Amino acid sequence: MLTTPTLGQIESIVHERIRALLAERAGEVGRLSGNEKLSATLGLSSLDLALLVAELEAQLGVDPFAKLVSITSVRSVDDLVRAYQQAFFPELERREDHTVTAAAKRAQSRRARTKRR
Amino acid sequence: MPQARRVALVSGGSRGLGAELVSGFLERQYGVATLSRTKTTFIIDMLRSRRRRNFHWRAVDGRDHEALRAFVKEAGEQLGRIDVLVNNAGIAMEGILPTMRVRDIVEAIEVNLTAALVLAQACSRFMLRQGAGCIINVSSVHAIRGRAGVAVYSATKAALDGLTRSLARELGPRQIRVNSVAPGYFESDMVSNLPDAEKKRIARRTPLGRLARIDEIANAVHFLTSDQASFITGQTLVVDGGITC
Repeated sequence: MLTTPTLGQIESIVHERIRALLAERAGEVGRLSGNEKLSATLGLSSLDLALLVAELEAQLGVDPFAKLVSITSVRSVDDLVRAYQQAFFPELERREDHTVTAAAKRAQSRRARTKRR
Repeated sequence: MPQARRVALVSGGSRGLGAELVSGFLERQYGVATLSRTKTTFIIDMLRSRRRRNFHWRAVDGRDHEALRAFVKEAGEQLGRIDVLVNNAGIAMEGILPTMRVRDIVEAIEVNLTAALVLAQACSRFMLRQGAGCIINVSSVHAIRGRAGVAVYSATKAALDGLTRSLARELGPRQIRVNSVAPGYFESDMVSNLPDAEKKRIARRTPLGRLARIDEIANAVHFLTSDQASFITGQTLVVDGGITC
C-alpha cells in the first residue's frame, strides 16, 4: 500500500482478510462486529493467525508483531485491528486500556503470582 | 527479472556446500537467492554468467536480523515467491568450552541458530501464503555424536534439529515440510583445516572408508526439496558414510 490508510480502511482490510479466510472453509460469512474472539468464536488456529499476519504484511507493508505488539495479546478481531492501527498511528498506544497495556498488566500480575508461590 | 518456476533461498551460498547448492538449484531451473558476508569469486562468476537472470545475491551479515528480514522480502519480491529455504550458513567455532570467549559463543549462536530462525520465520510468511514450501536446516553429525572441541557448534546444530521437528509440526498443516540434513565430514573449507592424519583417522572410522564429496551432501538436500520427498517432514537425514551408525 503506497499511502497511509485511515483507521477505517485498516479495519475494513483486516475484517476482509478474516472473512476471506473463514469463507474458504464455511462459504459465505457475514459482517464482523469486532468483538468476536479469533479462536473461541471464529475457530482460528495460531497457524491461521500466522497466515493472516503474512497476508496483511503483504497488503499493508507492516508487521506489528515483529517488535511492537506481542501476538499473544491478540484475542479478538478488534485486538488485531488495533495492532495494525497502532503500527500506522503509534500515538494510539497512549490510549487507556490499550491491548498492549492490558497484556503487560496481565503479564505483570502473573509474574507477581508466580513469585508469591 | 523474469519469474522462475520455483525459487530457493540459500544462506551462505558463496562457497563450499552453499555454492554447490546454488549451482544445483540453478541447474534444476530454480530461481536462486543467496546471501553471504563476502563476495567470493563464485558469486562474481554467477553475477556475470548467463544464469544471473535467475540469481539474486546480497552481502548480509547473519547477525543482522533486520538485514536478513529485508533480504528475504527483497528476494521474494524480485523472484516472485519462495519455495525452498536452505539454512546452510554456519561457522565452526572450535575450542573447548572452558576457555572459549563468551563473545565467540554468542557469535556462533547468532550465525548458526538465530539467523536460521529469522530466515525460517521470514520465508515461512511467503510459504504460508503459497500453501506450500520446504525448509532444510543443515545440521551436523556433531548434533548427534559428541566430540571434544566443538561443544558450542554441536549445541547450535542440535538446536537446529529441534527446530526442524517442532517447525514441521507447526507448518505441516499448510503443506510446508521441514527437515534437517546432518552431514558427516566432507571435503570443505572447514575440513581443509584438519591435519592429514586426522582426515585419515576419520576415513578409517567411516564404514564407507572416506570423506564425502560435497555433491553427495548437496544431493541429500535436493532430494528432500524434491517432490520425491513429498511425505517426509520433521526428519534428520544423516549423510555421513555410516560414521554415526
